Amino acid sequence: MKTIVLLSEANDPISGRPHLSRLEAQAIGLAANLDKTPQGLHVGPSEEGASAALGHGLSGLDVVETSVGEDPLPAIAGFLKNALNGNEPPALFLCGRRGEGGLETGIVPYLLAEALDLPILADAVAIRPGEVQGTLVVDQAMAKGARRRVTVRLPVIATVHALAPPPQPFAYGRMRRGELRRHRADMIPAAATSAESTTPVVGSHEERPHRARPKLMRTSGTSAGSHNLHVGPEPDEAARLILAYLEENGIRRYGND
Amino acid sequence: MTAAAFLPWLVVAMLLVAAVQIGRRVMLWRAGKPATIDWIVGLKALPKRYLVDVHHVVDRDKSASRMHVPTAGGLVLACGLLGFGLVPAIAASRLYWALVALAFLIMAAGVVLEARRRYPRALPRLSLGRWQRLPVYLGVFAAGGFLTALLAALGNPLPALSFLLFFPAAAAGLALAATTASGPMRHALAGATHLVAHPRPRRFDHEAPKGEATGLRPLDLEADKLGAEMPTDFAWNRLLAFDACVQCGRCEAACPAFAAGQPLSPKHLIADLAAASGGGHARTYAGNPYPNERQIGGTAGLHTPIVSPDGLVHPDTLWSCTTCRACVEECPMMIEHVDAIVDLRRFQTMELGAIPMKAEEPLAHYRGCDEPSGRPLFERTDFAAGLSLPRIVEKGEAEVLLWLGQAAYDLRGQRTLKALIQTLNAAGVDFAVLGGQERDCGDLARRLGDEATFQRLAKANVETLSRYRFARILTADPHALHVIRNEYPAFGGTYDVVHHTAFLAELVASGRVTPASLAGRTITYHDPCYLGRYNGEVEAPRALLDALGLERREMARSGKRSMCCGGGGGAPSADIPGDTRIPDIRMGQIKDTGAKTVAVACPQCTAMLEGVTGERPEVKDVAELLWEAIEAGRRKPAGAAPARELQPA
Ligand code: SF4
Ligand code: SF4
Repeated sequence: MKTIVLLSEANDPISGRPHLSRLEAQAIGLAANLDKTPQGLHVGPSEEGASAALGHGLSGLDVVETSVGEDPLPAIAGFLKNALNGNEPPALFLCGRRGEGGLETGIVPYLLAEALDLPILADAVAIRPGEVQGTLVVDQAMAKGARRRVTVRLPVIATVHALAPPPQPFAYGRMRRGELRRHRADMIPAAATSAESTTPVVGSHEERPHRARPKLMRTSGTSAGSHNLHVGPEPDEAARLILAYLEENGIRRYGND
Repeated sequence: MTAAAFLPWLVVAMLLVAAVQIGRRVMLWRAGKPATIDWIVGLKALPKRYLVDVHHVVDRDKSASRMHVPTAGGLVLACGLLGFGLVPAIAASRLYWALVALAFLIMAAGVVLEARRRYPRALPRLSLGRWQRLPVYLGVFAAGGFLTALLAALGNPLPALSFLLFFPAAAAGLALAATTASGPMRHALAGATHLVAHPRPRRFDHEAPKGEATGLRPLDLEADKLGAEMPTDFAWNRLLAFDACVQCGRCEAACPAFAAGQPLSPKHLIADLAAASGGGHARTYAGNPYPNERQIGGTAGLHTPIVSPDGLVHPDTLWSCTTCRACVEECPMMIEHVDAIVDLRRFQTMELGAIPMKAEEPLAHYRGCDEPSGRPLFERTDFAAGLSLPRIVEKGEAEVLLWLGQAAYDLRGQRTLKALIQTLNAAGVDFAVLGGQERDCGDLARRLGDEATFQRLAKANVETLSRYRFARILTADPHALHVIRNEYPAFGGTYDVVHHTAFLAELVASGRVTPASLAGRTITYHDPCYLGRYNGEVEAPRALLDALGLERREMARSGKRSMCCGGGGGAPSADIPGDTRIPDIRMGQIKDTGAKTVAVACPQCTAMLEGVTGERPEVKDVAELLWEAIEAGRRKPAGAAPARELQPA
């Protein structure tokens, strides 16, 4: 099963240097069980951190160079759309479950799912091919160690949870042997993505001093009761529901600030 | 025609058989990688290397030297003399035969001594099997040779008897010659060649600092294959070295991992490495098995991976080693076990990523933040809040650059460093630290086989150090000391590195600090492997302890023959389970001295020995003891020499 692991621009949490996100290294481990030659894709100004993925078991890495601060989504979507239309289309796209670099939001997998019109599954800890051809069985991590087994039809995007098996150790020699293919961004036909996703990041955030946050575990409910399940709500309605839920459980208690 | 007249021809036949047999090994050695060898120098040095260096080690076990000198000497002498017997005029001389008989007699005496080591029961570290039968063959050859020559010397009164004696001698002699391919006698030819073509000729130069012969060599990171996977990946003289092993088991008896029941025996490992090139053990290995032996597939060959669950050596064997070098120190054949182990680890780590999961963690931290503990570099000096700890960035230069090392992140190590810093301030030493610019020295990465990370750190540290002016580097960590002193020169950084025990001993000797006497306390000193064995520094710490008036008791294993605490070579990270823990064994030896305190000089040793539970002697770094004595000196009212006030932080 052809698998592509998407690699972000993560920073080491201690030194701040570009490095490979551990979640993505774990994703490579999952991919290696399904595909003998898993491939990677990185879009960004430099592959300094992402290239370590070759040392963790990727056999090839495509790098699309974009300029600093440029939204990588159109290039990712364009590249993958090309691949999906190719003669050996990938069946599975794996990503980390969160952003680990400077301005990353971790929302790319979702925007990508929208752009490619693919289903997305969050928080995979184990993946194996389904019994029916063209399906995939994914174990999702839930709160408090619970697992949920889901069968999905391929192709699919899945994000990987930190509780997935640890990554294969890094091997310098493997990194050296791995194939790194560079592409120019203007050679990739940008895929049409929705307007919101291409809006550049606006630096309007403010900095606040650190304050102790309420403990989430103690007060919030963990089981997603049926009254909390809303299928296809309007965005405004969804936001209101989420806020209400957070306030109810004492996670957010500052009113409408 | 007498039987004795055939003796010279027997020797010729034996030489021919041996030549064919060793020729088979030479073919295998040639499959190894090339090595640069100064043959002339090696050949010239051979007698000295054998008679001084080898004998010095052999002689530590008196029963071994007493048996080997006459056996080997008698054998070589008899065979040499018999060479002249090919000249008819000489062969006609009865005096000549008397000399030959004497040579065989000397040999026979040696064989008797050898037999006493093996019969009725062999020393536990010795191999059985063919090695146990060796004195039988040697004995028959020596006795037969002696009697045949004796009869010739007496004018051959009993020709029939002399033939009767000659035949068993001939059979035993040829059998001995036949074992030069894969049996015991291989050690003679391979051992001698190994001394000539030794991969570390510096170790025979006793004037040179010891560290020059113990530092690891840099690996070419551009090479097609990184590290050693199969026998052909070793240099040919390394393959030769494996063949030189006499299976004496001294390395095994000294190995801490073996003692702790971890699946490692350096002797077994070298025997395996020697057997690997020829496709496996010709006869079943007859020494002690690896403790808690792992299942292996046992496939072997010149082009077969050695370390693998399917191969000859299980990966757990490789990862049990603490790189303490005790095996190298004890080996009479001058075999370099640690080099082989690190070469094999390099392949496992860098090509396969087959490193124990727990050992991958520090390596991942190294890649992320240059520090195996995963702590930010700028936090390295946090422990010294309140102490005067100048940074070299502010001063630009200092007499002494203090290398803090990993101890700075560890609560226990910090206590030692504080004592050291306070002492330096009290003595008015002009020193400074790199602070947040100090990266880890890379020792752990290198011993775990991650040469790429080590070289990156070495280059970065050398670059940082080049920005500042200082005369010496001072460190309390023997691992950092060894790496910076002996392994950084290959990356363009040559420094005068001094260990804190030597530096503090200097301060006391020159009167810059005036410690009070701590008399009345008994103490024993645990030598760190990387200070004692790797760098030959065993005296300064002892001189310092003696200067403090402590009653020093030595452990049975001390100095260069000290036993490892279990903390080196990444062994605690790999954490291969055994029956017991190495530090527990060492603590037992410490207790045996009856000392109330054990003085240490390495943060790893401190951590390992402090980890021993239950009632045990106190673990104190030499620096802590000195600071205690200095403080005691200050408390003394009049008469005591005034110490300098601490500068305000
Ligand atoms: S270096 Fe030490 S632990 Fe390793 S094999 Fe030799 S004696 Fe054993
Ligand atoms: S490696 Fe050296 S010490 Fe160990 S058994 Fe062989 S000859 Fe003896």
